Amino acid sequence: MKYKDYYAALGVPRTASADEIKKAYRKLARKYHPDVSKEAGAEEKFKEVAEAYETLKDPEKRAAYDDLGRHAPGEQFRPPPGWGQSFGEQPAGGASFSFDDVDLADLFAGIAGRGRGGARRPDMPMPGQDFEAAVRVSFDQAYKGTEVELDMAVPEPDENGFLRRVPRKIRVRIPKGVTDGQKLRVPGKGGKGANGGRDGDLYLDIEVQAHPLYRAEGLDLYMDLPLAPWEAVLGASVDVPTPAGRVTLKVPAGTHAGQKLRLSGRGLSRADGTSGHLYAIAQIVVPTVVDERQRALFTQLKDASAFNPRAHMAD
Amino acid sequence: MKIEATTALVLDDTGTLTIAELVEQSGLSADELQVLVDCGALEPRETTSASWRFSRRCVVTARSARRLRDDLALDDTHALAIVLRFMQRIEALERELRRRGWEGGIGNEER
Repeated sequence: MKYKDYYAALGVPRTASADEIKKAYRKLARKYHPDVSKEAGAEEKFKEVAEAYETLKDPEKRAAYDDLGRHAPGEQFRPPPGWGQSFGEQPAGGASFSFDDVDLADLFAGIAGRGRGGARRPDMPMPGQDFEAAVRVSFDQAYKGTEVELDMAVPEPDENGFLRRVPRKIRVRIPKGVTDGQKLRVPGKGGKGANGGRDGDLYLDIEVQAHPLYRAEGLDLYMDLPLAPWEAVLGASVDVPTPAGRVTLKVPAGTHAGQKLRLSGRGLSRADGTSGHLYAIAQIVVPTVVDERQRALFTQLKDASAFNPRAHMAD
Repeated sequence: MKIEATTALVLDDTGTLTIAELVEQSGLSADELQVLVDCGALEPRETTSASWRFSRRCVVTARSARRLRDDLALDDTHALAIVLRFMQRIEALERELRRRGWEGGIGNEER
């Protein structure tokens, strides 16, 4: 079992009072809570802090943790002989019991509420735990829908009632039209319920890899459409990519930079038939290198035109 | 062995959950959900019907509320509703900012 220094996680000395522990947790929770913090790595940091607080806030668990002795963080260790007897945690397997694949947090989760008035009745239905996982998909997978296989390590009680991480493969069908940051629920794929309680659910956080051309907002897609000055002035039929294949887009004469050209129904679509649009945002791009003849033609155009792009700035 | 695939439900503006289902999936009580609806932090799909129906997106909001309640000790549900309203406003502003950026309204000069 790997040692974790819960006091260091909260930044408090081992002699800290319950109140100091609570204050330290509150401060760190406000800073790193994934629902309110956008800081990089905030979620991981919050998990560490929450795990530490979960054990140290409870006098019984804290005493059990202190009894493990001090070790270097990450060091493999075994609880001292007889550890946990006073908490009813001594496994029946005796010497053959291995702590190797036990997670420290799971070990302490088992001590919850024991020996106190608030303890649950053993036959009370207990819903299974909800699990969470992050899933990264490509833009094409999000557009078409896909199936992913998740390799998870889920806590399950062994024959001694100890929680152990066991590998579990879960196949999930991701419907088409998902967008970055969206949450999905996979019913019944969380932890097993006990005494007739329902199984937990699996919640997925979708991350869609950025596409070099398309940006999604809801079901709508946006892409930049570079146009030559003469295409913008005269209008043009241009060949453009869409996720479903190339199409010809009619650019109206007099198109200005920033103008949105809509390709109706060419955005993301959902299984229920609703779909978004693809917006091509016009950008006027100028040639940086021009030859003699082109320079002469532009000069001719300049002389012939009375167009003043800064008319609104005139005095 | 081939594992059967389970279809994930997208927590978007579709679906019609009952309040009992939302209680089960969020971990909040019906009373807490009632306060969140009263304060406008949660919007039922049909407010006219005798029993509320919620979109699946409400599961995300309600679970977020439960996490904030438990992890930050935000026990006052009215205060929780205000926090949620602010979070929703920030999200809407971020969406608007992104959209405007893409349309060339902001950051166009950098291209």
